[in-house]
Amino acid sequence: MLQRPQGLLLAALIALLVILAIVPILPGEMAGPYAIKFITRVIIMAIFIVSLDLLIGITGLVSFGHATFFGLGAYAVWFVTPKFDPGNLALAIGLAVALATAAAALIGSLVVRTRGFYFIMATLAFGEMMFALFHDTKFAGGSDGVTLNFKPLLKIGGTTILDFSGRFALYYFALVSLVVAYVICMVIARSRFGRVLQTIRWNETRAQALGFNTYAYKLAIYIIAGAMAGFSGALFASIDGFVPPQLLGWRESGIAIMMVVLGGVGTLHGALFGAFIYNFVEEILRDRHIVGQLASDHWPISMGLFLIAIVLAAPNGVAGWFKRRKSEAPSPAAAPVQAARALHAIAPPVVQTRNLSRHFGGLVAVDAVSLRFEPNRIHAIIGPNGAGKTTLTNVLSGLLPPSEGTILLGEQDITALPVHRKARLGLGRSFQRTNIVPAFTVEENCLIAAQAQTPDLFARKFNTNAETNSIEFALNATGLTAVRHRPVAELSHGEQRQIEIAMLIASGSRILVLDEPLAGTGPEETRRVTELLRDLARDHTIILIEHDMDAVFSVADEISVLVNGRLIATGSPDQIRNNEQVREAYLGSFEPEGSKA
Amino acid sequence: MELALLQLFNGVQYGLLIFLAASGLTLVFGILGVINLAHGSFYMLGAYSALTLTSMLGDVFLAVVVGIPLAFAFGLIIEWLFIRHLYNRDHLQQVLLTFALILIFNELQRVIWGSREHSIPAPEYLRASIKLTETLSYPVYRLALTGICIALSVAMMLVIQKTRIGQLIRAGESNREMVELLGFDSGILYRFVFAAGVALAAAAGMLGAPIESVYPGIGERILIISFVIVVVGGIGSIRGAFLGAILIGVADAFAKVYFPAFASFAIYAMMAAVLLLRPAGLFGRS
Repeated sequence: MLQRPQGLLLAALIALLVILAIVPILPGEMAGPYAIKFITRVIIMAIFIVSLDLLIGITGLVSFGHATFFGLGAYAVWFVTPKFDPGNLALAIGLAVALATAAAALIGSLVVRTRGFYFIMATLAFGEMMFALFHDTKFAGGSDGVTLNFKPLLKIGGTTILDFSGRFALYYFALVSLVVAYVICMVIARSRFGRVLQTIRWNETRAQALGFNTYAYKLAIYIIAGAMAGFSGALFASIDGFVPPQLLGWRESGIAIMMVVLGGVGTLHGALFGAFIYNFVEEILRDRHIVGQLASDHWPISMGLFLIAIVLAAPNGVAGWFKRRKSEAPSPAAAPVQAARALHAIAPPVVQTRNLSRHFGGLVAVDAVSLRFEPNRIHAIIGPNGAGKTTLTNVLSGLLPPSEGTILLGEQDITALPVHRKARLGLGRSFQRTNIVPAFTVEENCLIAAQAQTPDLFARKFNTNAETNSIEFALNATGLTAVRHRPVAELSHGEQRQIEIAMLIASGSRILVLDEPLAGTGPEETRRVTELLRDLARDHTIILIEHDMDAVFSVADEISVLVNGRLIATGSPDQIRNNEQVREAYLGSFEPEGSKA
Repeated sequence: MELALLQLFNGVQYGLLIFLAASGLTLVFGILGVINLAHGSFYMLGAYSALTLTSMLGDVFLAVVVGIPLAFAFGLIIEWLFIRHLYNRDHLQQVLLTFALILIFNELQRVIWGSREHSIPAPEYLRASIKLTETLSYPVYRLALTGICIALSVAMMLVIQKTRIGQLIRAGESNREMVELLGFDSGILYRFVFAAGVALAAAAGMLGAPIESVYPGIGERILIISFVIVVVGGIGSIRGAFLGAILIGVADAFAKVYFPAFASFAIYAMMAAVLLLRPAGLFGRS
């Protein structure tokens, strides 16, 4: 999870702030109009860039249209500035934020439905539409842009509190705003809300399977970042009083991404460094007194070479030079701790499928499967490769909609519910491929799972008691207590598989759909996981997909066999072992004793 | 009606031209996994080198014949210098490095050719127009261009569908490690594919030069349009890029005549509509 700046990094940030604070009282040209205007511009850009890192670095939404909101904020100042009077500052900023928020809500509600590269292009498309609106029509100056005759100022009861026509007023206002913006972003990223955003960045599918409505989360952060961009745009308009439509364009959005990447994504302070370094380096490379006439004439070449050098030398951006989270001394491997625990008094509801089918084009992956999963039992589903086991779990958990048939939870028809709604009803699943958040610690992974029980964003306590209890139980049951503070990326494959199960338990799911929990585990870990499954089955329903036949036949209460998508047998392990049809389906390769597929 | 017919011709012809550029982009993205922002720069460099080569050789078609191998060689060098460091890297790193290349190429263009707008004459023997109807005629160069674009597109499809290298390209597209496991040096395959992408973009730039003027910033326009096409068609799909290019070309040609104020709006609105209805493009696999 995102760390607060500490040590060397904190010192660097404070030093930067102190330097910026004393610049205006420096002698000579360093506090001259040109220098102050330049640094003001960089500070305002930094606010814009930090807001973009909320999207790119924290949530993984690479927006190629963030300047849309920046430009709207700038135009908002012009909208409220009368021809022969200064505009009202509070009104200007208020309108900038309101316009940007409204636009972000409208555009965001459409674009956050797409993912990855398509999201980049969708944001670009809407950004360019907005650009065309301002550039090709005449309602706000058209392609020439607009000019403010007066900078906005803030008056309360006849006295002027803030007047942006004075260059130091805007400078200090921007600096204070930057500090506030950085703190706000840090608080957001580290909150319960931000925790979910970071999970979405690593693995959106997992966040949904845990029960989070990721669409709502992505839309919310898109709007927040848009509002901040609008605010910074309003300040930007006050520097020169000139607002060209290019402020909304893809170039501005693109350069903003460059600054974030240059600094290092996902750290927030990286965005600050990126904004300062990019602009200062460009300023230096353009200055003929420093680099000479020839180089300054062709500064884009040296700027390009500088950026290439950064990419090749610092793959994690400038922020990557500061040490990453220190890992604690290696702790002993997970040990089984079977603490006595309070069992859930009420059994989970029965899960039933009725004639459940799923087609992919002409291929029938799951063919009219009717199954009944009794509470507090381990029901294994086996079958040769390609039998449709994983498709069945995907349909059960809601990742894939069924083509036909129904799924019942108790009396409730849950067939059409999306994955996060099913998860909230207690139907949780693990994944065949380990699907946890690698940068989080073991405990943080469980935390995010536990949080899914109470998706209330505004819970007053950081972790509720119920959540703390679920986490303790999950860590205890899986024997991961000793490694709880280590980032999961450092743990062994077997331990990571156990975290999958720990997260399911912590999420409060009562019906656990486990997709090959034993894949790639050693014999000792296999023994531990099967013990854990038996323990969990005392008050959980377990639907187990597994290739390890020894484990399946020793642990399952009931076994169903799928072949080519069809259910050919259901029964106790003994019944299945002696079933002729099953033997046939496995073409003699089916040897429950000692075989491992 | 005649105007509509004319714009349909122009749209299809423009669509075929930008298909050449976009197919290079989608190949590089689909097979190398690299987001190449500098792709438009190769179009721009193609257009400007056509300017120089035409004045040296006297004929734009000769310029194209000489220019394509040059562009291919240039692509090999750029891949070796920069792009090969980007495989398996985060997309954002690729974006930053190829953005840096745009800065450099644009400046080189300004140094070599200046900031003036140029135009390239179509060859003498193709300057005529064909009479389509009583009042409507169509420039022969545009017809020839349409033919050349179709020929190049067919050639590319054949290479991908029928040849050994095309087979490798298709295998690498779905599973990069597999190609390596089969014993092929994917480094060489990638260098070839990247250079082919550069050559396609440059060829489009050279062929388009006599129709549009050659000006600074032309590369960025093509870059954005190519991305739009790739996304509308579905990333990595050549078939999708073809359909996307024709759609965008025709939409652009009609919007320019019938809603001139919303011409640039129309393309993006179309892309947004496609993405909202099919979030992975027309031929994309989500």
